[in-house]
Amino acid sequence: MSDSVLIRLFVNGEEHALAAPPQRTLLEALRYDLQLTGSKQGCDKGDCGACTVLVRERSATGRGEPILACITLAQDAQDLAIITIEGLATPAGLDPIQQAFADCGALQCGFCQPGMMLSARALLDRCERPSLPQIQDALSGNLCRCTGYTKIYEAIQVAAGLREPSSRAPVSSEKALPSDQVAYAVKELLP
Amino acid sequence: MSRSSHHERGDIGARFPKVDGAGKADGSGVYTDDLAFPRMLHAKLLRSPHAHARILNIDVSAAERLPGVIATLVGAEMPAKYGVIPWTHDEQALATDHVRFIGDEVACVAALDERTAEEALRLIRVDYEPLPALLSAEEALAHPEIKVNEKAKVGNITKEVKLEFGPVDEAIATAAAITRERYQYAGSTHAPIEPHCAVARVDGDGNLTVWSSTQIPHYVHRELARVLGLPPARVRVIQPLLGGAFGGKSDPFSLEFCVAKLALKTGRPVKILFTREEVFYAHRGRHPMAMDVTVALDAGGRISAVDNKILIDGGAYASFGLVTAYYAGQLLTGPYRFGTYRFDSKRMYTNKPPCGPKRGHGSVQPRFAFEVALDEAAEKLGIDPIEVRRRNFIGEDVETVNGQRITSNGFLKCLELVEQASGWKERHGKLGPGRGLGVAGSMYISGTAYPVYPNEMPQSGVLVKLDRSGRVAVFSGASDIGQGVNTLLCQIAAEELGCDPREVTVVAADTDLTPVDMGAYSSRVTFMNGLAAREACEKLARKLKAAASVRVGDEIELELGTVRGPRGSISFAEACQLAEAAEGAPLSATGGYRTQKLGGNYRGGTIGASPAYSFTAHVAEVEVDEETGIWKVTRIWAAHDCGKALNPTLVEGQIEGSVYMGAAEAQMEEMVYGKQGLLFGPSLLDYKIPTSLDTPLIDALIVESHDPNGPYGAKEAGEGPLHPAIPAIANAIHDACGIRLRELPFYPQRVLQLLQARVPGQERRTAC
Amino acid sequence: MLTLPRLQLHRPGSVREAVELLASKPNARVLAGGTDIVPNLKHGIYETEHLIALRGLSSELRYVRRDGGRDGDSIRLGALCTIDQLSKDPDVLQSLPALADACRQIAGPQLRKMGTLGGNLCLDTRCVYINQSYFWRSALGFCLKKDGTACHVVAQGLRCVAAASNDTAPVLLALGASVRIVGPRGERVVPLADFYLHDGIHNTVLEPDELLVEAAVPLPAARLKQAFFKLRTRAAIDYSAINLAVALAVSPAGLVTALRLCVSALAARPALINRLQDLVGQPADLHLAEELGRRAQKQCKPLTNIGVDPAYRREILPVLVRRTVLRAIAS
Repeated sequence: MSDSVLIRLFVNGEEHALAAPPQRTLLEALRYDLQLTGSKQGCDKGDCGACTVLVRERSATGRGEPILACITLAQDAQDLAIITIEGLATPAGLDPIQQAFADCGALQCGFCQPGMMLSARALLDRCERPSLPQIQDALSGNLCRCTGYTKIYEAIQVAAGLREPSSRAPVSSEKALPSDQVAYAVKELLP
Repeated sequence: MSRSSHHERGDIGARFPKVDGAGKADGSGVYTDDLAFPRMLHAKLLRSPHAHARILNIDVSAAERLPGVIATLVGAEMPAKYGVIPWTHDEQALATDHVRFIGDEVACVAALDERTAEEALRLIRVDYEPLPALLSAEEALAHPEIKVNEKAKVGNITKEVKLEFGPVDEAIATAAAITRERYQYAGSTHAPIEPHCAVARVDGDGNLTVWSSTQIPHYVHRELARVLGLPPARVRVIQPLLGGAFGGKSDPFSLEFCVAKLALKTGRPVKILFTREEVFYAHRGRHPMAMDVTVALDAGGRISAVDNKILIDGGAYASFGLVTAYYAGQLLTGPYRFGTYRFDSKRMYTNKPPCGPKRGHGSVQPRFAFEVALDEAAEKLGIDPIEVRRRNFIGEDVETVNGQRITSNGFLKCLELVEQASGWKERHGKLGPGRGLGVAGSMYISGTAYPVYPNEMPQSGVLVKLDRSGRVAVFSGASDIGQGVNTLLCQIAAEELGCDPREVTVVAADTDLTPVDMGAYSSRVTFMNGLAAREACEKLARKLKAAASVRVGDEIELELGTVRGPRGSISFAEACQLAEAAEGAPLSATGGYRTQKLGGNYRGGTIGASPAYSFTAHVAEVEVDEETGIWKVTRIWAAHDCGKALNPTLVEGQIEGSVYMGAAEAQMEEMVYGKQGLLFGPSLLDYKIPTSLDTPLIDALIVESHDPNGPYGAKEAGEGPLHPAIPAIANAIHDACGIRLRELPFYPQRVLQLLQARVPGQERRTAC
Repeated sequence: MLTLPRLQLHRPGSVREAVELLASKPNARVLAGGTDIVPNLKHGIYETEHLIALRGLSSELRYVRRDGGRDGDSIRLGALCTIDQLSKDPDVLQSLPALADACRQIAGPQLRKMGTLGGNLCLDTRCVYINQSYFWRSALGFCLKKDGTACHVVAQGLRCVAAASNDTAPVLLALGASVRIVGPRGERVVPLADFYLHDGIHNTVLEPDELLVEAAVPLPAARLKQAFFKLRTRAAIDYSAINLAVALAVSPAGLVTALRLCVSALAARPALINRLQDLVGQPADLHLAEELGRRAQKQCKPLTNIGVDPAYRREILPVLVRRTVLRAIAS
């Protein structure tokens, strides 16, 4: 067991103090010490983006830029203002990005999405009307295994006011004629 | 946000937002690793560094002495064998005497924190006697004297299936065009972004609860009780929100047994969270297959014979392998009519992480081989790739050559949609050097008629309870793994009961509280769970109508919170109160999906027999850099016949995710092993899964064929749409530059080699 | 989750303090963006109990400056400039477009926000056999670079051939950059061409108690034509399977007056392709581009240290060089 150190973190506008081993990562501190479990752990080491949070210098303004909490040391994040997925919504309701993700079916298993939504939020904060290539580029550090990214693009475009949610209607098939039947005896070559 | 009233209503066919969407959007949704309990311990697994070895001795004493370590666990403490299929119980939570791949679990340590547990693992001393390792299916076949897994009756064969339907050799002898080639499908893995996690807690009465990131809570429940020797009624399994599965969480895993045993041993809650590396060792991914495929066409371009000899590399344990060996052959017989058909598939045990069911279980590999072969054979006869598929369409209400009953079939419409959307007629064969279009089709099951363990009980059950407040509670055993079944349950309740779908609580996948559902596999959930839910809701709707008719008259309509009749309307809650009064008891009803007797009348004829089949067609567009072999799939049009889209947004999501995953396998995914059997790069850096920049634009097109058996006409949508992506890409690369890729993934070096081997004049496929 | 080993974190406020800490703490290592060292620590690749975090030096070491010197203008890049910053900085875009291009292609957006120029230049060498967990490496039997004696890339190899995988290095090498290093014995400036060594275990001349604080790129009057290329399996979150940078000066008559070509992701040291003097004076054209491709192929031997087929990488190298050179000429 290591000796703990006192770590002060400024998260979602609130100051927290916690005692943890010096090697505590920011992700562990958020998830296990502060119970902010919306930041996810997917790959252990900075490959998948599920732990993305927004950070800025405390003196700076705005929401900040996306970084990876799983390879950031909590102690080294003490001078930063951190925004996690829990800090995106306001008492008035979900952030437009969150609302659009929910409305557009951009959330399937939902596990990569906190990181994805924070990357998307940072994109819209610096670019109100992004092009598709800009969206694709901004999300390229967040791996999603469910959606093929398609509905995520849609959600960001909806949040940016660039389009309405998809409403393409299904197409009915006509009754297809049965083909001529051929019946053979089955040979079981092996039980 | 403007949404039509239909979507607001959230009944069948609405693009109703997912009911767990907001919880997933604001970070409040609880996944397994988000659970924490007072005094909870963290456990880690020690794994075998040998691909194949005998265990001579395990000494955990030094680990136990490390400060912070609370308990250790070895296999002898729960040696019972288990497995998802009752006939192939061949796994142990921790190996007692025999390890079969690098990463096989050997011991476990529970400590106050993860780091201490990790450090304690290094203090465990295991004496091994290394054995020769068999690292490919061919080696496993060649060395029956080396036994990877004692469960194999003959050599290292998990299962062999040989079936012949009609005189295949005769048909081949008289064919107008034949292709006979070998195809190699590389193994790939699911890589859900959430690593496996399990938490166990024992209460004061000795009841064990295990929370697990599983897609089969019912099987985990059964196997936990059996292995731990507990009465099943003392074991409860709960599946919290699940962060992706794709088949990778449909086996019972070592971590579930270890947390349970350690919780029993220590009296404290215990958690195991796999590292990403461990997720790769848990695997159960796509089987590598070597396939010798013959496709014969008659002069009219009709498929007169298909012959497939399949060698399957299964890894160290059976998992669903018994089924894999069947599915590899049985699921190929649509959407085209085969004149004759024969397959011989053999699944081998090898000293690698076990393969299992990855999205499109067993049939993605032969589908790739067949659809490329069909393209090639059609080319020999000068028939357009879409035309040859149309010409061989099997039809509706027919039986396949292997005795499977096809009901609805919207494949022709799927072909038509992708043909139009891609501009096939104007563009195929005419896109200029290095660019091309390719097509492929496929068929998949909507659940399997055959339950994994034979029994007379329903495969899926739903209990619906109405409160006098008007709140509806749906208790369902089905696993929402992101596909959205919980949302569909709300929509079904809204459709049948006329309640507001936002006033439905879904209690799911909790073995104490919910009726049994077999699990989220074989694309069975919407179909079977949907039918069960509809049945329960119909029963309640009848009671509601009967009770409400006293007030509002007969001919009642139930619609979004209002019960309307000729004499006026009352609220849904009032109707519930009237019905509860009439019943004299709380209102509830159950529904169940009973297994149908389906399939061919021969041994194995029931495997792959499904109450309904989905159909898909893709057209892929590619660009190939002929100097380097580097290629890119720029767009895929995917039309899928899901019978009826209960929620088009969710169906599109399943199509898009499937297309992505198929394209990923074509592009870059492979489980690569070194000479010692060590998996290269078990991480999301080294095992490449596509980023947003690597994924083609995807056009998901929904076809509805209104199946007579499915809930509201619905069939599956989660796995079928993956299949055609790979052969459509291969066929598109052929259109672009005249080469035939027969080995996955289509690495640039493979493309370049084929490009260099082209003979002059072969540069481009000629448009038909 | 994969955990970090037990360690102490030190948070100096100045370069001086940082260097003192480096000198006083045994086996101390520098933590800047953390994108390389933290995964490596989790993998147990370093024996260290002390990390010196440089975040407090940001105001001192995060700058892009143009200034005139004895040898003409140069552009100075502070070591704590983030990769993202360099990919967007107007001065970098204008004067060092190939560097901005390389930075844009590093990893993914979050890692570019975190990673620094100094960190990238000092990026530890990579190999499919080293950047793995302790368990994985133990199953392998470890390797030369850490905990073992055998090389799994070169049979009987005695020198580690883990690959230089940084994308900024080949560009800065092609542009003739130098780096400024501060240590307890003072400050020194090392041409980047002399900075990297043929040793995958420690591939730079940086001493354990020294800190790389700046890279400087000379800006000759006639701006160099330059281009960068990165071969990778996926379009983000991926290290190079081959990267290369070319810089050339072309006279108004279209003749080459200076020329450098660097190819990396091969072995421990980025390879400046040598013996190109005879090409000076030649026309900057397709013929030159093809000739450079041939020479690069002759001098470069991709290895199995990277998970993309070495024979393939070698085979397409001339094409990649030709295209990159032509892109530079056209710039």
